[in-house]
Amino acid sequence: MLFILAWRNLWRKKRRTMITVSSIMFAVVLAIVLMSMVNGMKQQMVDSIISNTTGHLQIQDVMYYDEPTMDHAMEYSQEVKDAAAALGDAILYTVPRIEGFCLASKDISSRGVYLMGVLPEKEDRMNELSSRLIEGEMFSSGDDFAVIARGVAQQLDLALGDTIVLLGQGFQGMTAAGHFRVGGILGFPLPDQDNTLVYLPLKEAQTFFAAPDRLISLILMLDDPTRSDQLAERLQQKLDEEWYTVKTWEELMPDKVAAFDARDAQVRVFAWVLYIVAGFGIFGTIITMVHERLREFGILLSIGLKRSQLALVCMLETLFISAIGVIAGIVAGFPIVYWFYNNPIALSDDLADVMIDYGLEPFMSFSIASDIFFYQGLTIFIIALIVGLYPVRKAFRLDMISAARN
Amino acid sequence: MKTVIKTSDLSKVYTNIAVPVHALKNVNLEFREGEFTAIVGPSGSGKTTFLNVIGGLDKPTDGHVVIDGVDIATMKESKLFDFRLRHIGFVFQAYNLIPVLTAVENVSFIMLLQNQPKKEMERRAKEMLEQVGLSDKLDVRPSKLSGGQQQRVAVARALASRPDFVLADEPTANLDTESAFNLLDIMARLNKEENITLIFSTHDQRVIDRARRVITLVDGAVDKDEHFERD
Repeated sequence: MLFILAWRNLWRKKRRTMITVSSIMFAVVLAIVLMSMVNGMKQQMVDSIISNTTGHLQIQDVMYYDEPTMDHAMEYSQEVKDAAAALGDAILYTVPRIEGFCLASKDISSRGVYLMGVLPEKEDRMNELSSRLIEGEMFSSGDDFAVIARGVAQQLDLALGDTIVLLGQGFQGMTAAGHFRVGGILGFPLPDQDNTLVYLPLKEAQTFFAAPDRLISLILMLDDPTRSDQLAERLQQKLDEEWYTVKTWEELMPDKVAAFDARDAQVRVFAWVLYIVAGFGIFGTIITMVHERLREFGILLSIGLKRSQLALVCMLETLFISAIGVIAGIVAGFPIVYWFYNNPIALSDDLADVMIDYGLEPFMSFSIASDIFFYQGLTIFIIALIVGLYPVRKAFRLDMISAARN
Repeated sequence: MKTVIKTSDLSKVYTNIAVPVHALKNVNLEFREGEFTAIVGPSGSGKTTFLNVIGGLDKPTDGHVVIDGVDIATMKESKLFDFRLRHIGFVFQAYNLIPVLTAVENVSFIMLLQNQPKKEMERRAKEMLEQVGLSDKLDVRPSKLSGGQQQRVAVARALASRPDFVLADEPTANLDTESAFNLLDIMARLNKEENITLIFSTHDQRVIDRARRVITLVDGAVDKDEHFERD
């Protein structure tokens, strides 16, 4: 009966209930849209880091992380291949790379570049490298020409068909020297990449660095990135710890992780401001509701309802209102977020430049991850329940005679 | 006849206002089973305060209210809620029905709080509504009933749980003559048939004319306590 009483009370004054439900609903919608945008942007950055640089996991020589030189190129042994294969479907594909700094020159011009020896079909799968081609052609594994970034081409005045001369430090003190025909030019949005990258087929780069069958890293792209820590541990168990180490992208990019953590802290502050504002909004409607109903509370107490039972009725009403508001908020928030997920907001001017500087597409992305809806709904639900303690407190402190006479 | 309520040296002073008000002054009264009593007196004489105190809705400043051998003046609030629920029925001037419940649900409500079996509760609620002439309004909400009908539901609610006595605070004040007579007929009949002790506070001469005992309060003290023979 108390359950029925609470439920019917909600619909006795529909307008009052709808105002409270609406305040909860709007709080949920706002929280969902905010967190969807924040998480979408973060995911966009993480995806960019993963696909353009580190991948989800990397197998490296155990010394390379602390001393990133060609001397710590790892042997791409059967042990490494077997260890990766042992994880089965958990690994979508692997991307082998050998890479290092070189001096590039043409005629009397020279500049520092970053040489990447890659398998183009693997890079395409990971980051659609070929799609960045703006002139010429992308090499395939058997080719022997170089593809260079646009900035490198401009600074060294290199055009298709010209020869780029590379000079660097090879494996175990060998001098790495070679000259390669420029077969293609790539355009990168990030200036750091556009002004430094030079690509060679993996075999050519290994020969150039005098490191045949060696890699700087074997990148592993995972089916479920949330399992990266667990898979890194399993993989490490299968490898000789004396020679190999497995790093997650977070370990490889600690500065980015710290930046994300700082940003998350800012977002949390902003979110809590939103929650507090929403909480006060809900509190305002609850206070009005309680004061409109003091007489009714007094009546219920005077006819025999215990204070605890009245508090339960109030709590049930808050529970119902909160649940309805949260569900309505999720239902209303999902299409908004889904629309933005499929139609990211195009940024322009300075904001677009900032995104490009970060190597990102100049779009504001949204996330539709289910946990956003769950946690934002749950947070507002808990806030509404906490606010709903006000009528409960009132029930325990009410002077029933004056309330009933009111 | 057994004593249902006994008050001794009952006083109530309201101190939460600028000048303390002595609403009750040393009231010593006994009410016996089956009595039909009207508490009368001018406005501010302490009628409602007296009902609130003997009904356990308010605490006396001094004195005792003994019901069924228990002094409720010193009882803790949590116990008092239970005691009130099991021993006392209330009828209020403003009916005080629960607007979201139907007539039968309103009548069942007290029995529900007493944890009575559902079937018995429904049977008794229907029986009481029949007794007050509302068997055709079982599933109607208070807003669809007239004032007189609402007060009859309130009477049915007060009596359904078979309390030791019923306190009625100006129950006819908001009713027209016909509804008031109708209600008084019902209450007088139930008083006789079920031997229920009824205590009214009232200004209404129609109630006073029905009462077999009339207690007059003046300035919080008993001025007269008269007994009458009525049919």
